[in-house]
Amino acid sequence: MSSPAAATQVGLEGQVAASVVALVEADQAPILARSFYPAEGSPSPITASLAHVPEVLEATLPFVGRILGPTAIDARTKEIVIVRTSALMECRYCVETHSVVALDCGLSREEVRALRGEGDIEAVFTDPGELALLAWVDAVALGRGAVPEEITARAKGAMGDPELVELTLVAATTLMLNRYCSSLGLPTGAATLSRLHEEGLA
Amino acid sequence: MSPIAEQIASGAIGERLWFYANYHCNLRCTYCLTESAPEVDRREFGREQIIARARQGKGLGFTALGVTGGEPFTLDYMPELIATLGSELPTVVLSNATVFNARRLREMEPLADLPVHVQISLDSPDPEDNDEMRGPANFRKVVEAVPKLVERGIGVRIATTLEDPEAADPREMERLCELHRSLGVPDEDHIVRPIINRGRAQSNEMGVLAGFEQLDPELTLTADGAFYSPFGPTVRGGKLDTDLLISRITEPVDAPAAALARIVEGRPAGSDASIGIR
Repeated sequence: MSSPAAATQVGLEGQVAASVVALVEADQAPILARSFYPAEGSPSPITASLAHVPEVLEATLPFVGRILGPTAIDARTKEIVIVRTSALMECRYCVETHSVVALDCGLSREEVRALRGEGDIEAVFTDPGELALLAWVDAVALGRGAVPEEITARAKGAMGDPELVELTLVAATTLMLNRYCSSLGLPTGAATLSRLHEEGLA
Repeated sequence: MSPIAEQIASGAIGERLWFYANYHCNLRCTYCLTESAPEVDRREFGREQIIARARQGKGLGFTALGVTGGEPFTLDYMPELIATLGSELPTVVLSNATVFNARRLREMEPLADLPVHVQISLDSPDPEDNDEMRGPANFRKVVEAVPKLVERGIGVRIATTLEDPEAADPREMERLCELHRSLGVPDEDHIVRPIINRGRAQSNEMGVLAGFEQLDPELTLTADGAFYSPFGPTVRGGKLDTDLLISRITEPVDAPAAALARIVEGRPAGSDASIGIR
């Protein structure tokens, strides 16, 4: 199976970086992928790349939407996990995209910078529950094997089992997306880059 | 009866399961949907792959098979493959009929005893007009090949592809019909259809627009995946069109068949205004 146009530069409006695979434009979106494309404007590069394999797109996007989208866990907490994980994994696309989402969810510029490794996390984040979560995320993202007992104990002290399950899955899903987006070189949207400039986070 | 079989029986999904055997061709027709030509990627589906999926399709309730390309008969195993498919279900294979030498005709003789038709393109009763679209000497090769197939008892259909069938000159059409009758092909085995504005026809600004809403749903399996219609896996500018792709999975066939069934169930109102191209 091959895609003759699987090359580098892509033409989706407003996206400026190169992609390893062609991004599927709306007029080429497979029938079952069309409902995932916005009525106006460009789809996310994750959508536009997954559209090469519609049956995979149909399974992946609802899953990602359920895990990273609105649930019982507040958006701020989720974005702490996503930005921190993405920064640890050095995923340019996810860090840039979710820095903006994090700001929109109420995180401060200083908090975003700290999550990105550009500031002292323990000076910016003072809530013990959030610090326990960050220690847990660092261990999940960077560790091998079981999370150390001390970090587990702190996380269990700060969260109930439902929260720990969900936030671990947020981190794990972010790891999957980090590797997907980094490996395929997905381009950050121009609007996101512009906003990052405005916020001093570019 | 399976849900897929019910949809086939009701006509919601076409009864014929189509295969793209390959994409390369010895010709370079001006309206070719797949930009086929001698130098293009073969993208061959494979004999065993086709047979396995055809048998699965039969089990699902498909009642006919179709093979197209590219030119299927550029593949050495094509006569044997068509015989195998024809022993399973009635089969039509599309061909330009320009590669039927004596050896190939001998290999095709077993098809005479099977529900098989070779559908051959012939676009005009005038050699110049026909060959302008289909290539030098195409007309001569077709009118030589058709009687040889007919003599051997092999079913032959003639397919005429026109820019606008409604606007065709009746006198010219009558001359064309006289020609196919003289070659041994009766009127009921002559079909006339419009050029579809996809592939090379789109590049050449030819034909009628045909998208999801205008085409009949006929499951079509290729080396690149499963498509909504045999008019789906088109190529333009060397790039495969994916707007009518339904799945990269082609086996088991029930996976793309189920995806097609979901699409058919969700087709918008008015989508029965199909242009009915076969």
